[in-house]
Amino acid sequence: MLKVDGLTVRADSVELVHDVSFAIGPGERVGLIGESGSGKSLTALSLMGLLPEGVAASGMARLGDRDLVGVPESRIKELRGRKMSMVFQEPMTALNPLMRVGAQVAEVMTLHGKPRHEARARAVELLERVRLPEPAQIARAYPHQLSGGQRQRVMLAIALANEPGLLICDEPTTALDVTVQKQMLELIAEVAPALLFITHDLAVVASVCERVLVMYGGRVVESGPIREVFTRPRHRYTEGLLAASKLTPRGTRLPAISGSVPPAGRFPGGCVFRNRCPQATPACETAPELTGDAHAFACWHPAD
Amino acid sequence: MTLYLVKRLAVLLASTAVAAVVVFAFMALLPGDPAEIALGVNATPEAVAELRRQFGTDRAPVAQFLDWAGGLLQGDFGTSYVTSAPIGPQIGDRLGVTAVLVLGGMILAVVIAVPLGTFAAVHHRNALGAVISAASQLGIAIPAFLAGILLVFVFAVQAQALPSGGYVPISENPAEWLRSLLLPWLSLGLVQGAVLTRYVRSAVLDVMREDYLRTARAKGRGSTGALWRHGLRNASIPVVTVLGLQLATLLIGAVVVERVFVVPGLGDLLLNGVAQRDLLLVQGVVMVLVAAVLLINFVVDVAYHLLDPRLR
Repeated sequence: MLKVDGLTVRADSVELVHDVSFAIGPGERVGLIGESGSGKSLTALSLMGLLPEGVAASGMARLGDRDLVGVPESRIKELRGRKMSMVFQEPMTALNPLMRVGAQVAEVMTLHGKPRHEARARAVELLERVRLPEPAQIARAYPHQLSGGQRQRVMLAIALANEPGLLICDEPTTALDVTVQKQMLELIAEVAPALLFITHDLAVVASVCERVLVMYGGRVVESGPIREVFTRPRHRYTEGLLAASKLTPRGTRLPAISGSVPPAGRFPGGCVFRNRCPQATPACETAPELTGDAHAFACWHPAD
Repeated sequence: MTLYLVKRLAVLLASTAVAAVVVFAFMALLPGDPAEIALGVNATPEAVAELRRQFGTDRAPVAQFLDWAGGLLQGDFGTSYVTSAPIGPQIGDRLGVTAVLVLGGMILAVVIAVPLGTFAAVHHRNALGAVISAASQLGIAIPAFLAGILLVFVFAVQAQALPSGGYVPISENPAEWLRSLLLPWLSLGLVQGAVLTRYVRSAVLDVMREDYLRTARAKGRGSTGALWRHGLRNASIPVVTVLGLQLATLLIGAVVVERVFVVPGLGDLLLNGVAQRDLLLVQGVVMVLVAAVLLINFVVDVAYHLLDPRLR
C-alpha cells in the first residue's frame, strides 16, 4: 500500500536522509527506531509533504497509486487527513488554543467534504472512540482545559476521523506520563489501520509493531520482523541499541553505545556508524548495502 | 466573563477617579492665579479677592476638587476664567473632530499593516518581503508631523489636489469634509501603519512556526489555508496590544497634526488654552484625554478576553 523507494531528504547541500526504501502492506504495523537525529521524523514528514521550509525530499514514495514526493502541495493535501494521517510528538502545542476541540476534530471532515452538522456529530463519536470521558463536554472544551494525554487522544481522533489507510505516529507517547503512555499505546494498537510508528523506545515498538526498521545517520541500517531483529540483531548499531535497553542488575553500568550521534552532515563516509562501532575495520570505509530479504542489514561485520 | 467585565469596569472607574485627582493636583500646583490673570497687573488687591470669591478659587483645594469632579460627573466642565464660556460644549464639539481624526488614522493604519505585514511574513525569505520590511522601517523613522508637512508639500503645494489645511464640518459639505481630513488621516495612518506592519509581520512569523499550523496542514489544508483559518486570529492577540498602545499614541499625535493642518480638534483647543492661560479649560481637556486613554486600555483588555479563551 505504501511504497518508498530511494527516498532522500536534503537541506541545501546536506543530506539528512539517504536512499531509504521500505514498504508497508495494508493493516501492517511497522516501527521506525533509532536515536534522535537519525532522520526518522524527516522520513515521516516527507511522506506527508510537511517538511519544514528549506528542506526537500526526492526519490519515490507512493500511497496506493498516488505519488507523495515531488508533487505540488495542492495534489498531496487532499490525501492528508483522508488517506493518511499523522499524530505528532508534542500534544500540548499541536492544537489551536483558540478553537474548541470538537470544531478542530470536525474540521478534518468538513475539509474533505462532509457536511458541517454531520461532522459535528461524528466528532463527538470519535472522541468517544478514543476513550475520552464525557465526549460531548470535551467537544465544547478548549485545548488548555485538557491534559496532555487527553489532547493526544484528540489528535488521534482527528487522525482517524476519515478512516485513513495509513496512520503515522511520531513519538506519540514520548511527551506523556508513563501511566498514560500505556493506555495510549493500547489504543493506537487497537484502532490503527496500517501504521508507521516512530519511537526511540524499543519496548514500545515490540508491543505495537510486527516489523521494524532501524535508522541511523539517515539510512535504514537493519530491517525485519520484530522478533528476529530483537532476538538476533545483525547490525552492530541495532545490537548496541538493544544492549542499552536491557534491564541490568543493580549496581552494574548500563551498557551504552560509545560516542554520540554526530550533527547532520558530519557522519563519516562509508558505513555511517563506523566511528562509533567497536568492530569497525578499514573495510567499513566503503558503504555497505542493505542486503537480505525478510531480515535485511547493512553491515560488513554483522553479529551472528 | 461577566464577572471579569464587572471587575475590569470597577478598575476603570477607580483609575479614572485617581486620574482626576492627579490632573487636578498638577493644575493646582502650577503657578498663576486665574483672578490675577483675568484682571491684569494693575488690579487692586480688593478686586482680585472679589474675583477669586466669584471663581471659587479662594476655597480649600479639596472643596474646589469636589466641586469640579462633581461637575464632571454631570458633564459640566465649569466655566472658563478667561472667556467666561462654558467649557463642556467646547470640549464636546472638539472631541468629535479628534475622534474622527484618530479613528480614521487608526483604521488606515490597520488597513495598511495587516495585509502588508502578513504578506511580508509569508514571503520573509524573498526580496519582496525584505522590501516591505525595509519600507516599514523607514516609516517608523518619520514622525507624524514631518509626514504631514511632506504630504502638504506634495499633495497641496505641488499637486494642488487637496487643501493644505482647514476643516469643513460634515454637516456643511460631506465631500469637502472628506477632502479636508484626507491629509491628516494619511499623516497619522502612514506612520502608525508602518509601525504596525512590523508588529503584524513578527506576530504572523511567530504563528507560522506553531505546531497547530502543521496540524492544520496534516488535516489537509495548504499552508495559506492553514494560516487563514488558524494563524491570523492567534497572531491578532499580540497585535491588539500594540493597537491599544498606538491608539493612545495617536491621540497625542493628533495634538500635533491638528496644529499642522489647522483642524479644530481637542489638541487645537488644548494648545489655545495653554496660550491663553485658561487653566480650567486645559484641565478639562487633559482630563478627557487621560480618560480616553484609560478607556482604550479597558477596551483592549476586554478584546483580549474575547479573543483568547485561556484568559476566561
